[in-house]
Amino acid sequence: MIKKPRIKRGFVVMSKIVKFFHEIGKLKDMPRRGWILIGEKKPASVMDHSYRMAMMTWILGNKKRINTNRAIKIALIHDLCELYAGDTTPYDNGFKLPKDKKEWPKIFDNWPRFSRQEKMNNFKRKHKKEQAGLTKLTSQLEPSLKKEIMGLWKDYEKGTSKEARFVRQINRLETLFQAFEYSKQSKKRPYHSWWVGAEEHIDDPLLKEFMHEIAKKFYPKK
Amino acid sequence: MSEQKKYFLTKEGLKELEKEYQVLKELRNAKTRGEAPNLLESEDLNPEYLSFQEDLEFLETRLTELENILENFALIKKPSKAEANKIGLGAMITVKVNGDKDEFTLVGTLEANPALGKISDESPVGSALLGHKVGDEITISSPVKTIYKIKKIRYD
Repeated sequence: MIKKPRIKRGFVVMSKIVKFFHEIGKLKDMPRRGWILIGEKKPASVMDHSYRMAMMTWILGNKKRINTNRAIKIALIHDLCELYAGDTTPYDNGFKLPKDKKEWPKIFDNWPRFSRQEKMNNFKRKHKKEQAGLTKLTSQLEPSLKKEIMGLWKDYEKGTSKEARFVRQINRLETLFQAFEYSKQSKKRPYHSWWVGAEEHIDDPLLKEFMHEIAKKFYPKK
Repeated sequence: MSEQKKYFLTKEGLKELEKEYQVLKELRNAKTRGEAPNLLESEDLNPEYLSFQEDLEFLETRLTELENILENFALIKKPSKAEANKIGLGAMITVKVNGDKDEFTLVGTLEANPALGKISDESPVGSALLGHKVGDEITISSPVKTIYKIKKIRYD
């Protein structure tokens, strides 16, 4: 009888880490939903977004009294759940998209509006789906790492720590930045909705200043 | 010296922070004694605290942050009858924006969660709404012009 080679514990753990990295690598090819809706030919991926967010968190976070190490970790993991849960936009909450795809970018002229109850329901539905996605993704990791990733994500979702609240706002700003870049490149529409949404989300003084600098770059005064 | 920031909290928000502070303090004490804290088995433990267990340096930072908040908070109270027609902290507001109805609750920065309609009084929209009454129209135009028409204000 051929004996199976003995697998050392460390080796088993390493194989699971390899599998985890292989899985999250797929986010490099997962386009963000909003950019598909506006008809971008080469839409930025979930990973592209997380990478620039992590850079923004590091560099802007250094100007704040926050734990940048934790904040960067939050930026890196905040969208991992989308691998299984998918990326959604507020426009996916009961909005009827026009039949003609060419009309889709027009919906981004206005920020979508909801009642208090609708917001609560949308949030709960998304949260549940994303939590299941992250649980699946991290299920094979060692318990301490799994707990850390889940804990960081819960912190982000709830905005418990100042680091999480900072990264949540960075999330808005990276998306706004990208929207303005696409708008300028394509010379099609200004995609006002991202700006209007950001004005309801951003309350950090440094990030408000940053937001207005973005505006100056893309909306120069005539 | 800059003035100490005041943190505006609802009663529920305060209760939650006080609970978190107690839990994290217990966690730190148990860690110091080298014990596995019983509270980690507790059903009502918020899962985000688990990451604090993995990150001791952050546990300390968070405890200091909580101490600072609990020493410098102001409770959001229901306004007097004379003031209840104006938007202040804790107000539940119904607005029309470009013809679409939206609902917000105005809260302090610590409790803001725009996905749930809780917007910070320090955000551009939150600060612009402060002090306004039903019927007012607030225009925010930097650089995109948006008009918020106030339809209803209520306090719980």
